Amino acid sequence: MYKFPLLKSAKLFLISFSFVYRANFLALVMGVMFGFLMSHAGATTYDYHAKMFLMIDFQLMEVIATAVIVSMIGVFLLKQFHIRAISTGAEVDFVKKPYQSGLVTGAFLFGIGWAMTASCPGTVPAMIGEGKVGAVFVLAGLLLGTMAFGVLQTFIAHNKTISDTFK
Amino acid sequence: MEIVVWAGWLGGLAIGGFVILHFWLMGKPAGCSTGYGNVCGLLSKKLTYYRQGEYSNPNNTKLWFLIGIPLGGFLSAMSSPEPWHLTFDMGMYESILPQSEAAKALWLVFGGMLLGFGARLAGACTTGHALVGGAMMNPPSLLAGFVFFLSAMLTTQLLFNF
Repeated sequence: MYKFPLLKSAKLFLISFSFVYRANFLALVMGVMFGFLMSHAGATTYDYHAKMFLMIDFQLMEVIATAVIVSMIGVFLLKQFHIRAISTGAEVDFVKKPYQSGLVTGAFLFGIGWAMTASCPGTVPAMIGEGKVGAVFVLAGLLLGTMAFGVLQTFIAHNKTISDTFK
Repeated sequence: MEIVVWAGWLGGLAIGGFVILHFWLMGKPAGCSTGYGNVCGLLSKKLTYYRQGEYSNPNNTKLWFLIGIPLGGFLSAMSSPEPWHLTFDMGMYESILPQSEAAKALWLVFGGMLLGFGARLAGACTTGHALVGGAMMNPPSLLAGFVFFLSAMLTTQLLFNF
């Protein structure tokens, strides 16, 4: 087998590595940006959630309304000019979440959880980064809840018998 | 810890820009709660639901997105005038939450379970439904976003006023 000189093989390794993992790397950068913005928008500060739902201060309402309007314009433009995505090279896929049975029930449960913890799945990791201890417990609960849904779905998919589910 | 909070319109403008940038870079809508499914798939091999379909490869962009968020929160806390420190203070919620630390932790775990289960049952969280779904004017997302707000508002009113 032909071997490249060390420097060249190192360079080729770096190029192929960054090519294979570029999507994951971009996702990591996007995550950092998301956490940073969520934090500066006030979504990780407990009081803003209470104040919004008690109708004292509408900081978060303002944030989400502006964000939705701005991104609506952006989505319209991206669609209009058939922009190609950087990481995939394909046209941007505006895949919409379908209606699923249980959507309203799930949304209702989610809302209760939101009010109880003053956080949502996107802000919990950012809160951990800020040093909020409470968010660690919420994260544990989040994983347990997600796990419970997976167990339920696996149970249903395996003819609703416990012995088949966890073979 | 006091986080420097921008004006509402500025934060909204930045997050709107983020949603567009995410579409352009990644080629798909941004989402948070799906990543937790990846983590569950990595935790248990027997949980076949988180091992198939969109979860068939747990080491995907959704997981890396989730890993990045704490770093962003940390960077944001660094720009605060106070030094970074751990805190269990929950501001206004201190008056309605259980007084003992352990009971508070249990309360938060239970709330988190409702968040996790509800998000999977509804299909997405506040980011996926209210923010990105709202930007795409997707009717089921608008319905879900409305129910999120309605039920959270009802619960908060109950918690603080009764």
